[in-house]
Amino acid sequence: MRTHWLSLAAASCVVALGLAACGSDASNGGSGGGTSISIWEGWTGAEAKTFAHLVSVYQKQNPGTTISSLFVNNDNTLQKVLTAVRGGSPPDIAYLYGSWAPNVAQIPQVVNLTKVVQRPGVNWNDFWVGERDVATVNGRVIGIPALVDNLAVVYNKTLFAQAHLPVPTASWTWQQFVSDAAKLTNPAKKQFGTAYVTPGSEDTVWHWEVLLWEAGGQILKPGNKQAAFDSPAGLMALNTIRQMAVADHSMYLDPTDSAYANLFNSGKLGMLVTGPWDLSGFPNVQYGVQIMPSFPGTTGGHQTISGPDNWVIFNNGAAHTAAAEKFLLWLTAPAQVKYWSLHTGDLPTRHSVTTQGFLSAMNKALPGVDTFVTNLGNVHQARPQTATYPKVSQILGTMIVSVLLGKSQPQAALTSAAQQVNQALASSNG
Amino acid sequence: MAAPSVLLRRRRTAEPGRGRPAPAGAGRRRPSRSEQLTGWGFVTPGVAIILLFGAVPIVWSAVMSFQRNNLLTGNTPFVGLRNYRLMLHDPVVAQAVEHTFVYTALFVPGTMIVGLFLAVAMNRKIRFISVYRTAAYATMAISTISEAIVFIWLFDPSYGVINYFLSLLGIPQQQFLNDPSQALYVIVAMTIWGWTGFSVVIYLAALQGVPQMLVDAAAVDGASKWTTFRRVTLPLLSPASLFLAVWLTINALQLFDEVYLSTQGGPLNATTVLVYYLYDQAFQNFNFGYASAIAYFLFLIILVVTAIQFRVGRRFTHYRS
Repeated sequence: MRTHWLSLAAASCVVALGLAACGSDASNGGSGGGTSISIWEGWTGAEAKTFAHLVSVYQKQNPGTTISSLFVNNDNTLQKVLTAVRGGSPPDIAYLYGSWAPNVAQIPQVVNLTKVVQRPGVNWNDFWVGERDVATVNGRVIGIPALVDNLAVVYNKTLFAQAHLPVPTASWTWQQFVSDAAKLTNPAKKQFGTAYVTPGSEDTVWHWEVLLWEAGGQILKPGNKQAAFDSPAGLMALNTIRQMAVADHSMYLDPTDSAYANLFNSGKLGMLVTGPWDLSGFPNVQYGVQIMPSFPGTTGGHQTISGPDNWVIFNNGAAHTAAAEKFLLWLTAPAQVKYWSLHTGDLPTRHSVTTQGFLSAMNKALPGVDTFVTNLGNVHQARPQTATYPKVSQILGTMIVSVLLGKSQPQAALTSAAQQVNQALASSNG
Repeated sequence: MAAPSVLLRRRRTAEPGRGRPAPAGAGRRRPSRSEQLTGWGFVTPGVAIILLFGAVPIVWSAVMSFQRNNLLTGNTPFVGLRNYRLMLHDPVVAQAVEHTFVYTALFVPGTMIVGLFLAVAMNRKIRFISVYRTAAYATMAISTISEAIVFIWLFDPSYGVINYFLSLLGIPQQQFLNDPSQALYVIVAMTIWGWTGFSVVIYLAALQGVPQMLVDAAAVDGASKWTTFRRVTLPLLSPASLFLAVWLTINALQLFDEVYLSTQGGPLNATTVLVYYLYDQAFQNFNFGYASAIAYFLFLIILVVTAIQFRVGRRFTHYRS
């Protein structure tokens, strides 16, 4: 038996060493002369084509640098990055969701970009404040904005005309939204005024957070140690959506997070709070886009929420880091941002490129997208940058869904959720 | 199907007196050392891969279950049984266990009964029988995501066909996936539909192994069709039933895809099962230590349930020699 185990162990070692050798070979790439940097990204379709084009342009301008990009489904990137970090061969650059930022910041190999973005010519303040907030964790910049979006109201022009309703204006209120939703509801035609996604995930939560902010509320108290949403503003925000879901039945509740877009495109929904990514899915209806309504009499005004994503650099030695920084600064410079938006329909990550000509060019390709671009100016704050946010989000999700399903009263739900959040924040700090 | 026969063979060799391999008889010799090495040489890549991707993660997650580990930092303090103690006081774990057991208790017998019914119906020589059989198995070939999308629309409270048919019967509109007291049953229906093809194939194969001679003999003895089915056919199907019960139970305890695709554990945790909660803890909350502890807890449940099934099943299982 001993021999067997020995030979087995020896063979395993050979295999393991072989795998390890392969791994390190692949990650270093060509070592002669220039630098090779690896990027993990999840672009598909027009975005993939545009990205490939920009990479080839960069390589022509910088013959010393080879850029190899690997497609990774964005949902799985962090998981794969963690594995690669443990294996000692992370990519030089990875596209990571902004909601992961507080957790990403804990990875020791993540390169601190605080000084990099202050270099002359970068013009860090040209990025939208919502993006900068999400790329910064405890004062440290851990990423460069890669993609930005926000929530606005998409409405069906035909249904508004049929209901003899004026279309929403930029100065509209939640009261109008609620009353329009009721008038757009027609049970006989199975037509709803609006919809809300209710899986209880972050998608449920961030829609509500806009209302909370607009009502003048906050999610957590400064310092992120205590809940702040159990407030008159929180109650106003919850009551507003509850009115539509429970009292008026003007809100279609979508527990699957997948039905609402098809329903809007089938003319079954009057209004939808959603992001620019859904616009291309509405070819069958005449739609318009308007910014979020406000709560009159509060300090919040018209706001929205943004879910920006980041390019994050991992430390694979000074040469790799320098090359990765140089490439990213080029990729996110105004000229490339402009090119990217015009070819993909994605919102521009920089303020300075949004000239009138640029907006009308974008709008020609994707009607209504210009409102989403200008709406980026209504992003005044970001979700709390704490590693406990996923837990906070789950508690808020349960709170919102239980109110929308009529299972609990708004004030009771707020109180209970605030207690749970305080507990979660206390145990994570302790 | 290869799987059941492998299982049955295993079961047979476990019988007393048959468990030991045949003694080296005349004409057989012990393999030489070099032959043994050659043999190991052939299996080594396979063994290495199993060790690397099977055994190592299993051991590693056992270690992680005793750590506070978010996989992000290298800082992974040993916390002893803390994760396991947390689990005992976590109300969602209790809910998830309950949902998992309710789901299993409905899904396993449901799939077996529907499968048996269809298999018996299709175990005859009628026209287009192969078309029917293919159709029954087609549910296995359909991807879970398409299945989930179809069921989401079938059970949509406002636009779904199910509510339409219920309304024809005078039953008021049901909320299905929006209702915490109904959502889990929609998942049960969805998965029974998806797995029926599998149990049909197993039962069909087993039915073809029932000797016509015994059925004829029962008829000669004056047994009715139902009695013959209950007293002759069903006992002869028991090895297939045991296999299905074990196999489907293990799958049921590991339910994830359908929940992830349709309800994401909601509404209000009504469809949160153990594996979904584990995923949620690991990949949404970065509590890998806690998630590993849940995984080991689930492993223990599966181990116990399967052991009981084999023990009880042995009493009701008849093997023909």
